[in-house]
Amino acid sequence: MPMRDRLPIPESGYMQAVVGGGLVATVLFLALASPSTHTATLRLAVPIALAAIGGIFAEKSGVINIGIEGLLIVSAFTGVVVTFRLGSGESTLLISHHWWGLLAGVLVSTLFALVFAVVCIEFKADQIIAGLAVWLIALGLAPFVSRIVFESPNTATVGTFDNVTVPVLSELPLVGYLLFDTPPQVWIMLISAVLGWYLLSRTSFGRWVVASGENPKALDTAGVDVRKVRYAAVLLSGVFAGLGGAGFALGQLGTFAGGGETDIGGRGFIAIATYLFANYHPIGALAGSFLFAGLDAIQVRLQAAGYAVPTELIRTIPYVTVIIVLVFVGKTRLPEAAGENYESGED
Amino acid sequence: MPRNRRTFLTGAGAAGLAGLAGCVGGFGDDGGDSEARIGMVYATGGLGDNSFNDMAQQGLLDAEDDFDIAFDEREPETEGEFTGAQRDFAESGDYDLVSCIGFAQLDALEENADAYPEQDFIIIDEVLEVDNVRSYIFGEPEGSFQVGHLAGLLTDMEFAAAESETNPDANTVGFVGGVESPLIESFEAGFKAGVEYANEDAEVVTSYVGDFNDTAGGQEAALSMYQDQDADIVFHAAGRTGVGVLQAAQSEGRFAIGVDADQSLTEPDYADVILASMVKQVDTAVYSAVESVVNDEFEGGETERLGLEEEGVRAVYGDTIGDEIPDDVKGALDESRQAIIDGEIDVPQEL
Repeated sequence: MPMRDRLPIPESGYMQAVVGGGLVATVLFLALASPSTHTATLRLAVPIALAAIGGIFAEKSGVINIGIEGLLIVSAFTGVVVTFRLGSGESTLLISHHWWGLLAGVLVSTLFALVFAVVCIEFKADQIIAGLAVWLIALGLAPFVSRIVFESPNTATVGTFDNVTVPVLSELPLVGYLLFDTPPQVWIMLISAVLGWYLLSRTSFGRWVVASGENPKALDTAGVDVRKVRYAAVLLSGVFAGLGGAGFALGQLGTFAGGGETDIGGRGFIAIATYLFANYHPIGALAGSFLFAGLDAIQVRLQAAGYAVPTELIRTIPYVTVIIVLVFVGKTRLPEAAGENYESGED
Repeated sequence: MPRNRRTFLTGAGAAGLAGLAGCVGGFGDDGGDSEARIGMVYATGGLGDNSFNDMAQQGLLDAEDDFDIAFDEREPETEGEFTGAQRDFAESGDYDLVSCIGFAQLDALEENADAYPEQDFIIIDEVLEVDNVRSYIFGEPEGSFQVGHLAGLLTDMEFAAAESETNPDANTVGFVGGVESPLIESFEAGFKAGVEYANEDAEVVTSYVGDFNDTAGGQEAALSMYQDQDADIVFHAAGRTGVGVLQAAQSEGRFAIGVDADQSLTEPDYADVILASMVKQVDTAVYSAVESVVNDEFEGGETERLGLEEEGVRAVYGDTIGDEIPDDVKGALDESRQAIIDGEIDVPQEL
């Protein structure tokens, strides 16, 4: 692996091909698919993109957080329950209870991320097992609490955020309905992607995160506390995933089904595939989530349009794409020290 | 990595114990002096689903009001737990009847009915021809035909109720299914036949979400039907996923048709878009099974089909907007119901 020691920009030919292909696909998609497909893509991308951005920070710092699916579940569930308890459609301190619900969802998700961080960083548990535990606990806890509150694994319905409609601008073709007449969680997603990219590649915190995942010893030697950097990165993954889960629940679902794999239904795992595909680039992860959400939106419409492709096959498109993409993007490289616990030489 | 393995074992052990604790709870009082003791094994999804399992429990509670019975309930989380849940009841020998709710319990029951030949069982939504099992199935295609007939008639009219209206420019209605399976496809087959019977020009668009707990999937499937295909009425057989269909109908100002229970009552937030529900009286099946046990008349090895005539399935008009459906439409539905019972209309049982 000759590229192994260089920083994560794989052969530029590959990158150009991916970006070029993506642009062509985007233009075709915008030109050929219906407006409702476009808006559906934006909505469905929210949990995937935000969870992926969160996952990038954790994994870049050297802590593989596969519990991100669990963080989506707890934040989505908490958002709905808190909004319901406060009273949906009302407001406190001039702020709608949906926003308080979102805040609570983010807090609980961050709290779960903190527990995960303590287990992984303080007690040096295996990150994969701890991450699985986060998912399994969330999978059991949400329906359990729901039974106590609602006597059912499914919550009551609380309605959703209102669309943010900007006068005049929303009249513009294409960008009007895409950006200026859209539910607020879409904006949260877009801003988070830019913010995540800026944090990771333009600030010293971002450089610490990268160093903590690539060469924690060097970072330690430079006088930066690796533990603190990893804590911050994992907590940040909780914040982003929380925005994704609670934003999805309060902006689109308006309720939470706790049966089976819950309403989240594996979107956190698609997020992991997405950021691997995007080679840990937050903007790339946003684009990747558009790809998978777009395929999801298209497959629903292909089915309804009566194309005689077996529906099972259509439904597998996102997952097959993930596999194909991962095979071709075999060059995605994990941060050098990802998954390894770091022990400072001090003690 | 001995250390990791130990961590894993500890974690897995703790999780397993917690899981066991969850399964064990709930042995009620021993009810030794009751006339009959019933063991209930619900479908995954459990109680509180506002439809299938809750209907089954309703039948049990109705029976408790009328007879002197005791019962214990199990709510398996996954299909793998059915065998154990059924066996626990059968092995104790304390139960006069073990009720298995839902088609997914068939394989488990096949095993247990053979292992415990003295135990009486019932299964709902599947057929198992064994001497100690009585099977209850429903005429889903016929019930779906009825709501299809309703949708086919209304989509051609200018009809408005509450905040919603039909689309007089298009003759399109939709069907959203949960997981593609013979049972759910039989809903679709009946629905399509009903629509066609009402209105030969009408088109039915179909989508399967692939999950019974995917609200967003149900929403997007129905939104694409309402927005891109000009559908104005969508019928769902998709469990909790169907709540997304109801939401989409509300946001688009169109109509939806519920399933299993009268959803205008169980999902009151969406009562203003629910024209009707295709109700399956699972409660009737459970009640009659319990009744037969209490009266010592239980007959295994038989299949009871609860269709339109037995009122095992029927179209129940929405509580809020059902009154606004024109009388001639309701009259037509009554006629087609009678025609199906008399055998004049042949309803397809599968796609």
